[in-house]
Amino acid sequence: MKFGVFFEISVPRPWGPETEYTVYQNCLEQARLADELGFDQAWAVEHHFLEEYSHCSAPEIFLTAIAMQTKQIRVGHGIVTCVPELNNPIRSAERAAVLDLVSGGRLEFGTGRSATWTELGGFGANPDETKKTWDEYVRVIPKMWTQERFSWQGRAFSMPERSILPKPYQKPHPPMWVAVTSVGTEIDAAQRGLGSLGLSFGGVGEQAQKIAGYRKRIQSCDPVGDFVNEQVNTVSFLYCHEDDEKGITTGQRMAGTFNYLSEQTLATRQAYPTPSYLSPGLLYQLRQESTSGPEGRVPEGLTIGDPHRVAQAVARWEEAGVDRINFLLNVHEMVPQEDVLASMRLFAKEVMPQFQQDEAPEPAGATAAGGA
Amino acid sequence: MPLTGTRDLSTIADTAPLLTSLETEPWELKGAQHLQLHYELGGDRQALLPPALHPSIPPTLLVNVTRVPDSEVGAFTLATVRVGCRAGARPRGLLVRGYCDSAAAASVLRERWGFPVDLADVHLDPSYARATTSVTLDGATILAGELVDPQPITGADVQYMATLALARVARDGEETLLTQVDPDYTFDRAQRGVPRLTAFEAGAWNLPGASAAHPISASLTTVDMTLPRLRYLVHPDRDPLKAVERLPQPQPA
Repeated sequence: MKFGVFFEISVPRPWGPETEYTVYQNCLEQARLADELGFDQAWAVEHHFLEEYSHCSAPEIFLTAIAMQTKQIRVGHGIVTCVPELNNPIRSAERAAVLDLVSGGRLEFGTGRSATWTELGGFGANPDETKKTWDEYVRVIPKMWTQERFSWQGRAFSMPERSILPKPYQKPHPPMWVAVTSVGTEIDAAQRGLGSLGLSFGGVGEQAQKIAGYRKRIQSCDPVGDFVNEQVNTVSFLYCHEDDEKGITTGQRMAGTFNYLSEQTLATRQAYPTPSYLSPGLLYQLRQESTSGPEGRVPEGLTIGDPHRVAQAVARWEEAGVDRINFLLNVHEMVPQEDVLASMRLFAKEVMPQFQQDEAPEPAGATAAGGA
Repeated sequence: MPLTGTRDLSTIADTAPLLTSLETEPWELKGAQHLQLHYELGGDRQALLPPALHPSIPPTLLVNVTRVPDSEVGAFTLATVRVGCRAGARPRGLLVRGYCDSAAAASVLRERWGFPVDLADVHLDPSYARATTSVTLDGATILAGELVDPQPITGADVQYMATLALARVARDGEETLLTQVDPDYTFDRAQRGVPRLTAFEAGAWNLPGASAAHPISASLTTVDMTLPRLRYLVHPDRDPLKAVERLPQPQPA
């Protein structure tokens, strides 16, 4: 079992001149500490227009800053939105390659398609098309990275032959992932040999079933890249405190606030009738169930409380077949920065060592050119 | 905390119906045709909502027209224009004024669910190429629009937002409240198209300053719908986290 950190970068109102600056600096400090403490990945979302919930619209720049301020931690796009109105696929490949180069081969490349009308409508994208454009992107981007010259005649985009430069530092290319939120996307990931980047904040039971399906299907996959990235990441909230009650109370407040903020945005399905997006109500219900248990109990898998309780939750994820948990460390700046850092330190001291001997499978084939 | 509304709904409560009982029995309406034109809302997003509600991001304008071919009070057509919002984390549409072409149906809707509806000429005319709607009040067109380029979809693709209707409720005293009306739908047919709004007089819908700023989608469905027993009220002036009141429900036999 490995551990990462996950940044949404939520910014509470009122928005003063220093608010966004402070939140970004806090996140960078958390990333530096994560690197020192042995967390092995730092992921950042790509979201647009999601007031207060996420101000992380240029993750490639934020991740570059993390890479420049750290030594070991890998940096992950969680995710690049594979929709032409938001990201040209050529630019996505180029930016990712540069980030991989300047980070010394530390990039994880997550892909996805956005779930909100707030974002898709803001860019004038057609929700009916996003599954198709995502599918095209994940097939062409590894070719852009590995072929000296590349041309394409496709549905989402076309281009005459050019050299797409630079090439990534990792050879043959960085590990690729897909955000798994909608039901069935884990099978999409498996069929294409992509890592499963769980982002639903769902409970262990719900995800264990998905993981089993993913592991089975990926055995007979047709990989879109040059290697199969059989890894399963999930995401959870982390608040670890010596006082179990304080850990639980604070962690549940974080989770509740996250759910509340996320529901203020306009899910695609609520605005635009389409079979391309699942019921947003289902996702909300899933998140509610996974973060607030019956009669005040902590749902299994929610990594909040004292170190003993958090370790039990991690063990439950391990049993379910997860390779790595990425932790959301704060929401809406509701936890003071010093307490966030203390929670990370306590987790690293008391919980992390209990899981160090269990190594997640390495992505087959991805190595830094200058490394092993 | 996300933004909340700033509107004092008590200033327009005199147009809202008076509910003297909250013991409403469900009303089943079979074979209704339901048109929805969904737009992003123009105007001050906080000025149209009370403090209990958050504007969704982005805020929206929902035009809904329902033609009921038959009911216990005969056929009728109902038109509403709602502001898409959030009650806590839940998606809702705020209704402060609507129109119906049947006095008998308007009475039922006002007296049993607190729908703030008045009489007007309301039309919904679906055809294979489009579905048009219009509302005329005292000779003036206060709403005209259409769904164009209909494409078949399934009912499972459609999600309607529950309504929060402005009403006065007589309990210990008279209170200005919002009734939550969340109909059950059984879909027979569904189509999606492009919305086109050619007339919208915001004042006639008690939504001063509102405009349909950017089209999102249009849908036309044929549904069996059931207006349910009232289960929730929202206190419009309270904090969103303290605004919802759950009504006592009869115990199952």
